[in-house]
Amino acid sequence: MRNVITIARKELQSYFASPIAYVVIGFFALLFGYFFASLVYWFEQQSLQMTPGSGPPLNINQALIGPVFMNVSVIVLFVMPMITMRTYAEEKRSGTMELLLTSPLTDVQIILGKFLGALGLYAVMLAVTLIHVGVLFIYGSPEWKPIATVYLGLLLMGACFISAGLFISSLTKNQIVAGMVTFAVFLLLWVINWLGQSFGPTGQAVISHLSITEHLDDFARGIIDTKHVIYYLSFIVFGLFLTARSVDSERWRG
Amino acid sequence: MIEVQHLSKRYGPFTAVDDVSFSVGAGEILGFLGPNGAGKTTTMRIITGYMPASEGTVTVAGHDVFSDAIEAKKRTGYLPETPPLYPDMSVRDYVTFVARIKGVPSREVRGRVDAVMKKTHIADMASRHCGKLSKGYKQRVGLAQALIHNPDVLVLDEPTAGLDPKQIIEARQLITELGGNHTVVLSTHILPEVSQTCSRVVIIARGKVVAVDTPDNLTARLRGSETMYLQVAAPGADVTPALSAIAGITRVKAEAGANGLVAIEVDCEQGRDVRRELAATVVNHGWGLLELRPMRMSLEDIFLSLTTEDAGAPPADAAPAATEAANA
Ligand SMILES: Nc1ncnc2c1ncn2[C@@H]1O[C@H](COP(=O)(O)OP(=O)(O)O)[C@@H](O)[C@H]1O
Ligand SMILES: [Mg+2]
Repeated sequence: MRNVITIARKELQSYFASPIAYVVIGFFALLFGYFFASLVYWFEQQSLQMTPGSGPPLNINQALIGPVFMNVSVIVLFVMPMITMRTYAEEKRSGTMELLLTSPLTDVQIILGKFLGALGLYAVMLAVTLIHVGVLFIYGSPEWKPIATVYLGLLLMGACFISAGLFISSLTKNQIVAGMVTFAVFLLLWVINWLGQSFGPTGQAVISHLSITEHLDDFARGIIDTKHVIYYLSFIVFGLFLTARSVDSERWRG
Repeated sequence: MIEVQHLSKRYGPFTAVDDVSFSVGAGEILGFLGPNGAGKTTTMRIITGYMPASEGTVTVAGHDVFSDAIEAKKRTGYLPETPPLYPDMSVRDYVTFVARIKGVPSREVRGRVDAVMKKTHIADMASRHCGKLSKGYKQRVGLAQALIHNPDVLVLDEPTAGLDPKQIIEARQLITELGGNHTVVLSTHILPEVSQTCSRVVIIARGKVVAVDTPDNLTARLRGSETMYLQVAAPGADVTPALSAIAGITRVKAEAGANGLVAIEVDCEQGRDVRRELAATVVNHGWGLLELRPMRMSLEDIFLSLTTEDAGAPPADAAPAATEAANA
């Protein structure tokens, strides 16, 4: 465990030593701020147009927070490749992989360390949105529970992207290639449920089950469904497993 | 300390290392000498546990590098061909990171880092980013990284490649100091390297071990006979018969030079010291003896004769000795 933390700390340190962390967080904060502001504006308009007594007031959780965080998944799609692309590719290119693989570490420790490092940066990035949520608590009275679950869902979803990104990065020495391929794969995972519509009801059920973002809906409604948690966890484990296989086979090939 | 037995490594159909065996005793400095592409890096990567062998075994301090990898790696320090540095990390952060992943106990990390940075003379660069260092400093940080956990075994892949002459001398000094406390294996494709630092040499070419011996013995063994060089002030014609008459001398080659000086090469039977007789003969004839010294083949010549199969390069008497060395 000490080794995992050492690697994770080194990963985080290297994100913040290079422009990556600042670009990722800045880009995210900018886009999130834009989505947030426009949705708040839209929400205000809707609320004002409602005549008092014509029905229940708009629920701030459902009408505002839910949609805002669904937008986060789109931003994640763009920034996550920047976080994961260099994890393995850069170590292989610069030769530091030789240091890691000749140190008394197991492959699993290295993979978990890198995974936690990337997750750490992602968590810092999400933490930026706490400011916006704080504003909502000052001027409104949202329920905290669906907000907590949406953060949990976003963490799990991000972790899936990270495990897939680690695997792709472990396949190449070129971080740009890793980044492009990762983006393409994420995009596919993201749009796959649109594709599903042309396959009839069963096809759609299967395909929407595969879609990473589809599983986020319930979290945004404040529901922690074990079905979705298991989906995310197995996705993560599978991604990390593939990474381990890839690192090991690279070692045999030399 | 290191046992390499019947080690082979294939990359697809290509055999990079072919049935290599040797062992290195505790405190020894072993030179691993061979031209580019001989399989030095591959062998070292297997010893350090970076990649598994296709066949054969390697143990470090009694631990198999494959089946008992963690224990073997704890006892091994490795400086790859390019120092494995993180360009964005400061030298101190980097060495500290390596100390942690090599398993140095937390409370000893600081002390070890300071000690090793002092030993490798990089303390003045502690807060500099690794990516901004000169080649010489990078190499020293690489060495610090290999030494940080005070390993029994140090594996250094071409530690002086790319350094300037002053840095090479410093590096050699440091490596010589390290022998004794550590078992060192260093690879090089440059000859003077091994004769100056190593107690034993393994010569490898095309993945096969060609010879294992001390630098001195290799030189002697390869000749099969010993050669003396003399410079004498004498009438050229008389010298050859006079010297040939001495017992144990097999060949005399005299060449008259300027000012009545004659340069002479004398081959004698191996292990027989004929210097006294040579000197006495010259003096008894009333000639002036200006120089008398054993002529050794330089490691450079040995290396060429062992590893070149092109016609012309190997001296005639080197070939049988090379075969003998390979069988040893
Ligand atoms: N990863 C690899 N895949 C295929 N061939 C390789 C690989 N690494 C090294 N080789 C080949 O193996 C041979 C030995 O290489 P190496 O061990 O690096 O030699 P040296 O360090 O003595 O120069 C070379 O011919 C090299 O081309
Ligand atoms: Mg090499």
